Amino acid sequence: MDFKSIFSRKTKSSNIATQRLKLILTQDRFDVSEDSMKKLQFELTEVLAKYFEFTMNSVSMSLKREGNSYVLMADFPYQESSKLR
Amino acid sequence: MGKVIVITSGKGGVGKTTSTANIGTALALLGKTVVIIDADVGLRNLDVVMGLESRVVFTSMDVIEKKCDLEKALVKDRRVEDLMLLAASQRNRKDDIKPEQMQDICERLKVEYDFVLIDSPAGIEQGFHNAAAGAEEAIIITTPDVSAIRDADRIIGLLQNQDINPISLILNRLSPTLVKKGNMISKNDVLDILNIDLLGIVPEDEGVIASTNRGVPLVHNDGSPGAEAYMRIARRMTGQRVPIPEMREDNFFSNILNWFSRK
Ligand SMILES: Nc1ncnc2c1ncn2[C@@H]1O[C@H](COP(=O)(O)OP(=O)(O)OP(=O)(O)O)[C@@H](O)[C@H]1O
Ligand SMILES: [Mg+2]
Repeated sequence: MDFKSIFSRKTKSSNIATQRLKLILTQDRFDVSEDSMKKLQFELTEVLAKYFEFTMNSVSMSLKREGNSYVLMADFPYQESSKLR
Repeated sequence: MGKVIVITSGKGGVGKTTSTANIGTALALLGKTVVIIDADVGLRNLDVVMGLESRVVFTSMDVIEKKCDLEKALVKDRRVEDLMLLAASQRNRKDDIKPEQMQDICERLKVEYDFVLIDSPAGIEQGFHNAAAGAEEAIIITTPDVSAIRDADRIIGLLQNQDINPISLILNRLSPTLVKKGNMISKNDVLDILNIDLLGIVPEDEGVIASTNRGVPLVHNDGSPGAEAYMRIARRMTGQRVPIPEMREDNFFSNILNWFSRK
């Protein structure tokens, strides 16, 4: 979510709240600093970039609760054009 | 053997005491035997919400200090059969009680009663740990806002580490009108984020404040949306299959309908 959309009147405040919550909870659940998160995200992107073509910084990570444990989810936008190198 | 359930939230003021009073009363109205325990030592108010403050003679502290028997410390409700309150001491501090002592009280009560509900204090300190110590199950109360949901998530993690299971959720103070306008986080988003079972949704209801003023739990007031929601929650807790209705929006048309159907 970028700075502009936070202040745009068009974005519903409930959507902003949900996005912010997802980010906050991922950090709470990981129990790591924002810096470490960014670093992990960056390194993951580097590894993926060896195999796929996609824009840097587009990996997003979250921890999802599944029963009594958490599942680490990393999403990156895969397009037709992101062919396997 | 009864069930011991802690009602907790992390964040303060989201409706733990209101929910304990109403669910306890609703379960008793359904014919169950119930004890509600105020675990908010030093800031007790479950007795006030129940309208029982003038009847409280002994507290859980007196039981722990062996100044009176457990049975004698239980205050009988004024309106419903088989509903008892164990009040908290107002003069003590939360760390004057140890988890083992709460556990012991719960163990003894669950032999005699179908449901033992514990009203937890806010926070994640000693008071919360004491409240959860004797519980096997938990009900998390949250309101649809960022900080309450964040705290709920933290509490769920702590309870899971203590093998408390099941843990279910009550979403309190939901306003369908605000959700529709896009100014309130929706039920589906809350569930997607917290990923635990939904026990019920309680709408924002002015009746809650009036009922607290009177010291009469809302569920005695048939027909109010909050009362119906708490009755459905209690039915689910007794094992009945009661679907969670989609909330109707509070609009001109439904207000008129309500007005005509009022008794
Ligand atoms: N569904 C509701 N509709 C309207 N008002 C509500 C609702 N639920 C709770 N309230 C109001 O919110 C306030 C806080 O409720 P309550 O005391 O039950 O919260 P709590 O979680 O027990 O607080 P604390 O953390 O201080 O113990 C009360 O004034 C109550 O009347
Ligand atoms: Mg309270």
